[in-house]
Amino acid sequence: MDRLLLEDADLFRFIAHLVACKTVYAPQRKGADSYVFAPVDDPQAVVLDYPRTLHSIKKYFLPPREELLSFNLRSNAFAAAEVEPVNAIFLGVHSYDLHAVLKLDHNFSQGNAERNYLTRRQGAIFIGVSYRPDRFHFGGSVGIPVADTTGCDLFLHRLDRGHVVEIVSDTGRELLRGLDLPAFTGELPRTADFEQHIYLPQGKLTEVFARGYQSGIWEEVAEKCVGCGTCNLVCPTCYCFNVEDEVDVSLEGGSRQRHWDGCMLREFSQVAGGEVFRNNLAARQRHRVYRKFKYISDQTGEPWCVGCGRCTAYCTAGISIVNIVNRLVQEHDWANAAKL
Amino acid sequence: MSRSQLLDPAAARDLYSPVMAEISAIEDLTALEKLYRITLPDGAELGHKPGQFVELSLFGVGEAPLSISSSPTLRGHFELGVRRVGMLTEMLHRLPVGARVGIRGPFGNGFDLDALAGKDILIIAGGIGLVPLRSLINYVRDRRGDFGRLIICYGSRSDRELLFDAERAEWEADPSIELHVTVDRGSAAWRGRTGVITTLLPEVELDPRSSVACICGPPIMYRFVLLSLRAQRLAAENIFLSLERRMKCGVGKCGHCQINGSYVCQEGPVYRYSELEALPEAL
Repeated sequence: MDRLLLEDADLFRFIAHLVACKTVYAPQRKGADSYVFAPVDDPQAVVLDYPRTLHSIKKYFLPPREELLSFNLRSNAFAAAEVEPVNAIFLGVHSYDLHAVLKLDHNFSQGNAERNYLTRRQGAIFIGVSYRPDRFHFGGSVGIPVADTTGCDLFLHRLDRGHVVEIVSDTGRELLRGLDLPAFTGELPRTADFEQHIYLPQGKLTEVFARGYQSGIWEEVAEKCVGCGTCNLVCPTCYCFNVEDEVDVSLEGGSRQRHWDGCMLREFSQVAGGEVFRNNLAARQRHRVYRKFKYISDQTGEPWCVGCGRCTAYCTAGISIVNIVNRLVQEHDWANAAKL
Repeated sequence: MSRSQLLDPAAARDLYSPVMAEISAIEDLTALEKLYRITLPDGAELGHKPGQFVELSLFGVGEAPLSISSSPTLRGHFELGVRRVGMLTEMLHRLPVGARVGIRGPFGNGFDLDALAGKDILIIAGGIGLVPLRSLINYVRDRRGDFGRLIICYGSRSDRELLFDAERAEWEADPSIELHVTVDRGSAAWRGRTGVITTLLPEVELDPRSSVACICGPPIMYRFVLLSLRAQRLAAENIFLSLERRMKCGVGKCGHCQINGSYVCQEGPVYRYSELEALPEAL
């Protein structure tokens, strides 16, 4: 049987069972309205019904700061950092965040495959959970429905008083061993509809973004944007980074660190001598959105945005990626209508 | 996308560890630029093509992309022409012969030598753009029979900033090279030509069917040089431009060097002008 019933009364037992198997990362409350993925000590602290976490689980595979190598300044000797597999269960992951991990897998595997990322990525078990879309989610518009189980080992479909546990992989089945959950024979619950939509047929992605390059929307968005880079920081598919050396206070050694960087920041494209190659916010906004809908998508055939809504929900200036893309679609449609 | 695409990390190389190399010679070029001769462990060859770059690191300071200035025909070591312009290059300029530096690379595509073979080569170098183009110039000199004419147009802001004086004297004396040099503003001692680099181009007689142009210089230079070359009916696919960007990682991951959808460290830094129509951020 591939569907089991997990009553709410059994939930803490289920989580405790997972914690006994491996390290578990799950959403937990942080402040009044915010949630973060954090290691689970207390099963009761886990929140499975949450809108979105501040950061996605990307932070476990591509940490915000990461040592690449350590060096000794006297001898010039260095050693590459030892990276450990994450080897953990990720409980309560929304479909869009899991799709984002799969997209990062692609980015760190194609071309020069990166050992650090691929090593960390080992031993990750994913337990998805359905969610109630809020006014920022738009996964449905980028091909990622609420109850999409792609990449999961188990998936929890929310019921009124519990969850249907859908077994998606053999690893997932193995994880449930010893729990003795009853079979679920009913219909899977209907997921709630998205409130937000990008009206972009996937087949039109290429032509809409070919035309959209010259759109006036970029200047309009630039008037609001302050260039803080929050949208990059919270995006689960942004993976650009900077590398800097840090010297210990002893001045004897130090380490080469990489940290998340963002194309919305002015310094991002700056070269020695001062030239900034993407020198205005309009060009930087366009680059950010094109990274999500064109540049990588031209190669892979799918949007690189997963519809989590974070860039919009956390934007310090109230800029909506949904509104930007819908505007491009609209301008494209008008231009085509004008030809008739 | 499915999880089965996840690669075995054992199949992935360590992308970020440099090889420790030695500065085996230093030559002053100008007040701002020095030429560094770098020797890899056991005299290993870098194995580069003209137009490629390396990432040079100084522990505690960082890492920066630097164009390779020597031809691959120079054996046993390679050369980097470095302007003192940022923190890493300031530090590099203080290092003595014998100091050790980290090297990763070579990176980037370099010039398409197959496409250049048999052609008349027009080199257009603005300022420090001569550093990467010197690799190509010396490659063509060492393989002289493989190429047609070698025409070098070199412009600099002033005569004090002209690079590779001794070598340029050799080029000048070489009857198989057509060398044209100009400076924007000459000092009192300057006996050569004055004017921007584009003033050299109309005087160069080109056969557009058999010529290629290889260009490197400051961003502002490209627009005017390109207008001039197009006026001489050189096809866009026969114009090669080496573009500067912030190649931080060199391996197509960090995102800093991207021009539209193209990673300069992977698909560049050398582009055919015909490829740049799809990359409006390039020029």
